[in-house]
Amino acid sequence: MAQPWKENHALFLISTGALAWLVPGGGHFALNERRRAVVIFVAIVLTFLIGLYVGSVGVVDPVHARPWYIAQMMNSPLVMLLGRIGATGDYRAFGRANEIGQIYTSIAGLLNLLCIVNAVYLAHLRSIKESQA
Amino acid sequence: MMVFLASLLGSFTTPMKIGTDPLSMLWLLPLVASIAVVYKATKVHSIRSWPFAKESAVLFGSIVVFIVVAAVILFGITWIVTEQLPALLDKSSF
Repeated sequence: MAQPWKENHALFLISTGALAWLVPGGGHFALNERRRAVVIFVAIVLTFLIGLYVGSVGVVDPVHARPWYIAQMMNSPLVMLLGRIGATGDYRAFGRANEIGQIYTSIAGLLNLLCIVNAVYLAHLRSIKESQA
Repeated sequence: MMVFLASLLGSFTTPMKIGTDPLSMLWLLPLVASIAVVYKATKVHSIRSWPFAKESAVLFGSIVVFIVVAAVILFGITWIVTEQLPALLDKSSF
């Protein structure tokens, strides 16, 4: 009897995590935490866009800056589209602008990772509460 | 509309000119603000405008103060190693 609940529980956690990764704040929005979701969305997207504006689209570079790219990927899978543009090497950035751009976009990604983990944890708590009720 | 959109997208293809002067360190402030806001958004029980802004501002201030203290300590160590230590070693009997 416990198997279907466990399967549903795992599916619920995975879908919340996937939603939180797809759109920053999406996981919290699905959990009816609207205000939290808006704050997370605005803060993370703004940080990412500032980084992109400062360093250009070239800061998302899966070829020459792979470790940074992994952190940037945490923002959303949509970053892969930018990675394809950055990989061409047409928009490469150097110097301080590149550094600041990479730091901003990567920190935005790591902040979203924190939010993904938080959304999955909240979903886990909700699911347990509902199963006990 | 299309011209505006094109110029907006175009602005993301050219890096900004940022010098290596001490003023460029101010770029850490928006990042710290973002970190403080997102971290607090995951930690507070419920988000209400004023208490949330207050808690974020306190965290923002704490991070900035900690960075300044770390910078001062590192500057002091560098100053001792590069300015004071060579002079002391020159004067020593060794």
